[in-house]
Amino acid sequence: MKKKSLLLLILGLVMSMFLVACGGDDTSDSDNSGNDGGSDTEQDDSGNDDSTSGDAEQVLNLMEGSQIPTMDSVMATDAVAFQWLNETMEGLYRLDENTTPVPAIADGDPVVSEDGTEWTVTLREDAVWSNGDPVTAHDFVFAWRRAVNPETGSEYGPFMMNGVVKNAEAISNGEAEKEELGIEATSDYELKITLEKPVPYFHSLLTFGTYLPQNEAFVTEMGSDYALNSENLLYNGPFILTEWNPTGENANQWTLVKNDDYWDKDNVKLENINVSIVKETSTGVNLYNTGEVDRAGLSAEYVAQYAGTEDYRTLGEAVLFYLKFNHDNEFLSNVNVRKAISMTIGKQGLVDVILANGSLVSNGAVPSSFTSHPDTGEDFREINGDLIVEDKEAAKEYWATALEELGTDTVELGYLGGDSEVAQEMDSYIKNQLEGNLDGLTVEVTSVPFEERISRDENSEYDIQNSGWGPDYLDPSTWLNMWTSDSPYMTMNYNNEEYDTLIHEANNELITDLTARYDNFLEAEKVLMDDAAIAPLYQRSRAYLWRPSVKGVISNPMGADFTYKYAFIE
Amino acid sequence: MSNEPNKDLFVMAEDREDTSEKINRPSLTFWQDSWIRLRKNKGALFGMIVLILIVLMALLGPVFSSHGLDDQDLSLSRMHPKIQGLENISWLGLDGKNYQEFEAETLELADQRALARFQQPDMEFIEADVKQEPNSETGEPAVVKYAFDKYAAQGVEEYYWFGTDTLGRDLFTRVWLGTRISLLIAFVAAFIDMLVGVAYGGISAYFGGRTDTIMQRIIEVLVGIPNLVVVILMIMILDPGIVAIIIALTITGWTGMARIVRGQVLKLKGQEFVLASRTLGASHTRILTKHLIPNTIGLIIINAMFTIPNAIFFEAFLSFIGLGLQAPDTSLGTLINDGFKALQVNPYIMIFPAIVMSLIMIGFNILADGLRDALDPKMRE
Amino acid sequence: MGKYIAKRAGYMLITLFIIATFSFILMKLLPGSPLTAEQKVTAAQRAIIEAKYGLDQPILIQYFKYIGNLVQGDLGVSFQLKNQPVTKILMAGVPVSAQLGIWALFIGTFFGMLLGLLASIKHNTVFDYGANIISVLGISIPSFIFAGLLQYFVGVKLGWLPIAFWGTPQQMIMPIISLSIFPMAISSRFLRTEMIEVLGSDYMVTAKAKGVSNFALVFKHALRNALIPLITVMGPMAVSLMTGTLVIEQIFSVPGLGEQFTRGVLTNDYSIIMGTTLFFAFFFILVILIIDLLYGIVDPRIRLSGGED
Repeated sequence: MKKKSLLLLILGLVMSMFLVACGGDDTSDSDNSGNDGGSDTEQDDSGNDDSTSGDAEQVLNLMEGSQIPTMDSVMATDAVAFQWLNETMEGLYRLDENTTPVPAIADGDPVVSEDGTEWTVTLREDAVWSNGDPVTAHDFVFAWRRAVNPETGSEYGPFMMNGVVKNAEAISNGEAEKEELGIEATSDYELKITLEKPVPYFHSLLTFGTYLPQNEAFVTEMGSDYALNSENLLYNGPFILTEWNPTGENANQWTLVKNDDYWDKDNVKLENINVSIVKETSTGVNLYNTGEVDRAGLSAEYVAQYAGTEDYRTLGEAVLFYLKFNHDNEFLSNVNVRKAISMTIGKQGLVDVILANGSLVSNGAVPSSFTSHPDTGEDFREINGDLIVEDKEAAKEYWATALEELGTDTVELGYLGGDSEVAQEMDSYIKNQLEGNLDGLTVEVTSVPFEERISRDENSEYDIQNSGWGPDYLDPSTWLNMWTSDSPYMTMNYNNEEYDTLIHEANNELITDLTARYDNFLEAEKVLMDDAAIAPLYQRSRAYLWRPSVKGVISNPMGADFTYKYAFIE
Repeated sequence: MSNEPNKDLFVMAEDREDTSEKINRPSLTFWQDSWIRLRKNKGALFGMIVLILIVLMALLGPVFSSHGLDDQDLSLSRMHPKIQGLENISWLGLDGKNYQEFEAETLELADQRALARFQQPDMEFIEADVKQEPNSETGEPAVVKYAFDKYAAQGVEEYYWFGTDTLGRDLFTRVWLGTRISLLIAFVAAFIDMLVGVAYGGISAYFGGRTDTIMQRIIEVLVGIPNLVVVILMIMILDPGIVAIIIALTITGWTGMARIVRGQVLKLKGQEFVLASRTLGASHTRILTKHLIPNTIGLIIINAMFTIPNAIFFEAFLSFIGLGLQAPDTSLGTLINDGFKALQVNPYIMIFPAIVMSLIMIGFNILADGLRDALDPKMRE
Repeated sequence: MGKYIAKRAGYMLITLFIIATFSFILMKLLPGSPLTAEQKVTAAQRAIIEAKYGLDQPILIQYFKYIGNLVQGDLGVSFQLKNQPVTKILMAGVPVSAQLGIWALFIGTFFGMLLGLLASIKHNTVFDYGANIISVLGISIPSFIFAGLLQYFVGVKLGWLPIAFWGTPQQMIMPIISLSIFPMAISSRFLRTEMIEVLGSDYMVTAKAKGVSNFALVFKHALRNALIPLITVMGPMAVSLMTGTLVIEQIFSVPGLGEQFTRGVLTNDYSIIMGTTLFFAFFFILVILIIDLLYGIVDPRIRLSGGED
């Protein structure tokens, strides 16, 4: 009996060894065939066009921090999904290296009616889906309606379209039929879009993933299986996604292959992009060092190791981090308390030592290098300058005044922060700064996971909160709308009439007067910072090990982080 | 001739009444006896001494140091460890210097990289040791090993024995405070396991019958729940912290102890001394607490001894998947996890807490092994 | 025997049911919703979507639906991986984790037994101490440290093996070794103790006196008897393998169950957490059942009956 079971065990193990061996062979085989297919097509093309691809193999190996949650463009909500949608799908416009929307499926810039609410876009006729169907105006109509239809359950559809595209809000609340959405295919290749009101930044919105087209026949045919893996998808972008299957054998890797039916394929130089999911920074760095990947994100520790090498690169982002104050708190309702807190934090030390990735000290509510003045072209941040800076002495004075006004000498405040490594380190530092510099202040830090922080944020369950925000379109209002008292994101009970008026004007009366509107935003930011309504901390940057031979990658301030369409290996 | 033996052959025996009952060896209690056997076990003794030292350091270590748990100074960020007396033994790497090797086409380029790396304006505090001269013909790069003395650069007179972390906090202080918290979590968890497990197992076995059946069914179901899953789910819904971790560790942890105690009591309760006690009218409580439980104490202690290192280990594991303690509280687990992130860059951050943790694990394991032998009545001579 | 297994299977079902209920309640107690992954979606809009997933219904109704689906083998769809059925996601991870776990168990116990055997035969020699040190280190160093060091030195410095991912035999070596350290340490310690006890027992002395060769003594008689109690450490080993996969899979980017569980936990993906929880529980109960059955098979002294331990 004993012997038998032992035998069985060994047999089982030997069998599993064979299985393993076969499995291994399978994957490497399919990898090879993928590569082969890629290089075959390269040989076909390279005779005709540019020579930049030269002799270097046009394959880019990348890592991603997590699985692609969905490739269904109307369901996408996160950076990973938008990244790979951006490479494999194409909407009306695409952001170029200067963050300007350039025509993609659209054939030229949109024609806007005088009142700014009617946009007419003509589509190019040579764009096709990967099954050969032409990309038509109906595909946009179908996808947009799907995005706001409450039955779809999209989170970003209503978020991106409500208040922008006509009737989107009513449809998403179930008060109107989806056919009433302000989009219409006047012909196969002409779209008429009706907006709720003039939206100056609508052009840049059209580059966003939620506004991508979908092939109605295909999506309907696939039903609930649509976009579950790379087979169940149609592509119209520079690359085609292959071997992506989150429920498959090799769920952690996928490959993008150049799309030979893409209308602009001559400008696409990469043949293959191989992506693998890697969660540990150290694993990523190790993979970079053995040449298996061409880019690896670095944490602060590794920055110290690699700063100064030619592979080291930092990339600024338009993401701001700041402290939110709950203005209902008896202490935080005092402007001097807020100023003291805001000015006493050693922001320079924070970005230099703790983040150490090229992040910039932030002294306002709008990031730098994001939008520029419509007349002068000057950057928003340059015009308004530093509105609230680190000044420990001044902070002490504000603090003394505040304590006097409040008639107390001890202040206790809760502090809500994230639970990531860096967040915890940063929050300990800020706590230490606040308590060390402002006598009588006690700060109780609570570190919670992201979901929990959001839920506490929505219920205004915090005194101070370390929070961040990324933009959704190219306009200062993506940063400033949320601080109005009637914004759905206003959880900190800040209410300043002057501010509300300025923003309201900018979004309504002045919406077509770009200069006056911009000035309103500038003015509003000053009001906000005068109030020290929030305490800006830093504008994020990311540090990478980046293979110097990889060129032409565009980094975007919104939507997908990067565009690989024009990338090549030198 | 008479067959009668000569009376002279016989000598009156001495009256030995007073000595016949005398016990030659000193009377030893269970504990004295166990201690003697434990003492003979060098490994166990070593384990015990290591543990006592670690506990002492956890209590006193932070006192030696003039730094607090959360004394930050960014200008003292990531100082390498420097220990008096050991600083001249270069291979130990405890001289407070940061050693880095750079490869570059020329020596100047290597210097530039070193300056960028150490964020220094000039080479004043950086020693360069050229390992390989560059050769432009063969294309061999220059290899230079640099040693940067941050203590000198920052004018720090103090010695940071275990170095400092990113925020410039003294790791010596933090390691011992972390040890304190790790031990606290482990001891409390083991104690609660013991309390609940002994009570549950004892009652279940002693009363037997339907009580036992029901209680055993409950345990059977509980044992089926993987500890790991429960712990993670509990941590998710409780506010993360020491209490949450202890609750999570003990919520199913006591079942092992309960099973052992139950088995032991089942064996003992039929024995004569229990019967005698019951005949004499002892209450259930008395029989349980005075007779049955004390006789299982050896097993209980051994089991608790294995619980403690497991708890410490589990806490470290929780830190790794991001469900550990909250800053500024620190434990060996969070320290090791922090260090793990910098393992390839600044290994010293992980090495010291990892050594302490390994010593605790080794200490408890070999001490528990020794105790098992020592408390085993079969080993009694 | 058959009756016994049936009875145990009954308990398994009850346990699974309780775990399902327990995890359901915990999920409801969790702060935040699976849809809070984006702070930009407003609470009002989220409520509309939650209604679509039935998250707005009374908890009891949600519970009965959940149990009803569960009985039919339907674990729902993932919240984070939109529309992907949880059963499929789990089934993708199971073979990978099973491969990793079985190999680690096999290699770990094999080398552990070798080490333990060596230590016990050469009791109180350098070999014994060496084996002891290895096994003590094995249980006192967290597996993630070991994995990190292995990856750096073998993968990067020496360049002998691929650093991460899963599929080819080469890629599997390092994760399996990292995961096998604990089973190795624990089985080596256990076998050593048992062997020393068995070798010193009366029947072994008798066998020796009867002239049985040393080899036969060790392998034919002692090892057999010492192996039986090794079954008892299978429980802790199963636990270590589960915790191990969480960590090892993350470090080596292995697409297994552990990775899915951590992702579920980090993104509040209710259905994934409950699915993996149930699976882990099922696996664990199965191991316990197998241990008990094996006991009955290899050790006739143990009676397999209901309430006895």
